[in-house]
Amino acid sequence: MRRRLLGVALAILLGGAVVAALVLGNQGSGVTVVRGVIGSEKKPFFEDPKVKASFAKHGLQVEVDTAGSREIATSVDLGKYSFAFPSSAPAAEKIKKARGATRTFAPFFSPMAVATFEPIVSTLTRAGVVSGTTFDIRRYLDLVAENTRWDGLPGSYKARKRVLLTTTDIRTSNSAAMYLAMTSFVANGDDVIRGANARVAEKVAPLFLDQGYSESTSEAPFEDYLAMGMGKTPMIMIYEAQYAARLFANDGTIGPEMRLLYPSPTVLSKHTLVPFDEDANEVGRLLTEDPEFAELAARYGFRTADPGVFAGLAQGTPLAQDLADVVEPPTYDHLEQLVAMIEERYL
Amino acid sequence: MRALLALLLVAASLTACSADEPFKILAGSEVADLEPLLKESGVEVEFTYTGTLDGAEQVARGDAGDYDAIWFSSNRYLSLIDGARERLSTQTKIMNSPVVLGLKPAKAAELGWDGKQVSWTDIATAASSGRFTFGMTNPASSNSGFSALVGVAAALSNAGDALDAQTIASVTPKLKEFFSAQRLTSGSSGWLADAYTARPDVDGLVNYESVLLGMRDKLTLVYPSDGVVSADYPLTLLASSARQEQYDELASWLRTPETQRKIMAATHRRPIVPGVHLAEEFGTASLEELPFPNRRSAADELIGAYLNQVRVPARAVFVLDTSGSMEGDRIDSLRTALVTLTGADTSAYGTFSRFRNREFVTLLPFSDRTKPQHDYQLPESDPEDMLGQIRSYAEGLSASGGTAIYDALRAAYEQPVDTERYSSIVLMTDGENTDGSEYLDFQLYYQALPAEKKAVRTFVVLFGDSDVDEMNEIAKLTGGAVFDARNGSLAEAFKEIRGYQ
Repeated sequence: MRRRLLGVALAILLGGAVVAALVLGNQGSGVTVVRGVIGSEKKPFFEDPKVKASFAKHGLQVEVDTAGSREIATSVDLGKYSFAFPSSAPAAEKIKKARGATRTFAPFFSPMAVATFEPIVSTLTRAGVVSGTTFDIRRYLDLVAENTRWDGLPGSYKARKRVLLTTTDIRTSNSAAMYLAMTSFVANGDDVIRGANARVAEKVAPLFLDQGYSESTSEAPFEDYLAMGMGKTPMIMIYEAQYAARLFANDGTIGPEMRLLYPSPTVLSKHTLVPFDEDANEVGRLLTEDPEFAELAARYGFRTADPGVFAGLAQGTPLAQDLADVVEPPTYDHLEQLVAMIEERYL
Repeated sequence: MRALLALLLVAASLTACSADEPFKILAGSEVADLEPLLKESGVEVEFTYTGTLDGAEQVARGDAGDYDAIWFSSNRYLSLIDGARERLSTQTKIMNSPVVLGLKPAKAAELGWDGKQVSWTDIATAASSGRFTFGMTNPASSNSGFSALVGVAAALSNAGDALDAQTIASVTPKLKEFFSAQRLTSGSSGWLADAYTARPDVDGLVNYESVLLGMRDKLTLVYPSDGVVSADYPLTLLASSARQEQYDELASWLRTPETQRKIMAATHRRPIVPGVHLAEEFGTASLEELPFPNRRSAADELIGAYLNQVRVPARAVFVLDTSGSMEGDRIDSLRTALVTLTGADTSAYGTFSRFRNREFVTLLPFSDRTKPQHDYQLPESDPEDMLGQIRSYAEGLSASGGTAIYDALRAAYEQPVDTERYSSIVLMTDGENTDGSEYLDFQLYYQALPAEKKAVRTFVVLFGDSDVDEMNEIAKLTGGAVFDARNGSLAEAFKEIRGYQ
């Protein structure tokens, strides 16, 4: 009972304090809180004290919640937020239309890449899938179509598993959808798919289904790759930024056997901010135009409008300076239709 | 101004206070060993423990709204249930432990498996020719058993991709050979490890590496070269929780290199954060992770095949109190509980708890004397008729007379032991012993039993006004366990016990 009374007393006190805080806030140089929902891969960037400090210089405090990019485009209640920041342009287009936003910002992008290990590179080079640092999607699809297993290929990696890139769950995750964008392009005779295409679905569905269980976010399997190595994840489809961030941090997590390959063709994951109000417009503008933010974003492995920033950091690393053979992803709806056809096969 | 600042500070600390409800986690018993460590996290955490499958279904149904997060050894099965994914928010893997085989060092040496590459096929061959025996948890109630089953099935099927119904059907005969060497089962990994310690005739355990490394008597660990399935312990925020901040705080604390090292030292689990180096005890074997099913139907098919076709069939004797004190709601509960086990509960957990094909079930009711027993031999397939017979008998149970617990329990131990079966007894009573022999008489009787009869455990259900002390004694004496249905439902207790039969 006494505790309760104390609680009441404190609550009254608190009420006063809130009023005081509000009064103070209005008098001083107020900080504007802008709340957004973002793809989880950008969370470390937004939580970086340097990024927060840079926003603070402009009187902004950016708070973020994370969700899968496809969820942001479909199920998340966007009414609570000033902006959405999914990791793909098609998802952003969808949101822009749905919310009647007038513009979008694409401050950073990252190509899809394959993280793997030296013994895999050497095995796949002999199998004709890899040459140099290029991972040939067409030849890879051929191997998958033949149900090839690692122990069926000449080389030192003798696991009894199928040759399959680890991806996230196609039903929930953007990085898997980006992978679907490039594989469906090849399976469609080097053309962007335009809707539900049963023939293409037939070809690409095993890339996802035959892996067995897959995770719903891109960070979890990449961490498995880093921490548990080749046995768990011989090769994995990632955003280049994930690998680059670890390289730039120089934290020892990229081991001597680890390799980065670039798929051919590849697609770009264009992180696109959709603002719903004026404050969010300012966030988008700063991220896109202010070199301070470009500098910080590059540290997290993202490429920005000025190629020099990323290139400077990438010097002496296995990261590619120039990206070749980049194809456009299908529109959001076309990609969704293909995903739906694959989804049916999980039942 | 300073006063205002002080006021603000009070306000700030008060906001923290009013949100001072503990962060509530629905967890599997396999993470209970982390509870002490979490006290150092700075977040006040409250754990509630439940079985893996039971917990998964609770979450999927949306019945876990009282909790902020869940923490099981894996979310994989849960994610296969329709509607479950939407209930989950952020997932953060905390640590890792593969399911492997641990053998007594002498046995490992005898089999020539010391420091040599051994595959699941080698292990299955040795098992089917009776060269070693092992214990494993029930795949329907515990994740370690399920992971092991997936691993063995994937390895023995020689398939390179995820298991499907067809593969499962074709690998069933091989699984049967492998599991013919299983001598011990359990609903939880921890209980299995304890039970194993008391059974010198069992040569090893299939369990988490962490449990095996933590055993007092050192085991030789065999890491199958053709692959394993690992637990990754994802701490998972529920979408319905408003406690993202505490979750983030807890998750990032758990993943600091320092905490990761503490977890590794205290619980023998592998760190999941890149860059934290493995201790020596984990050895150098490379772990090939086997694909895990991505369809609910395949996972259920596999568990069903294990229970109904693969495992050593069970011999279950149910000693049931039908004395006068059971009249009314209590005998109703008993009827319902038994009917639940005949397939009336159609949830996955319920389905896997039913009397299984090939099982030999005896219902042994008693009051002031032991009543006639009813035996049911379930067939290899199409068990519906036999289940129907059990159901109609259960529905006709009635209550009257006194309570002669020990005469009835003794009658249960008089049943011949079939060495081809896994035998156990369930004792359900709602009150004190009023007739016939006493506990001490039973104790003397039990101690004089031959070894194969002593090995039959009694799982005790506390119900109504059970004599708690004596019931605990029975469980301890026979190596069983106690299940409390005094505040819950008898059906739930029966379902839980099924994991141990």
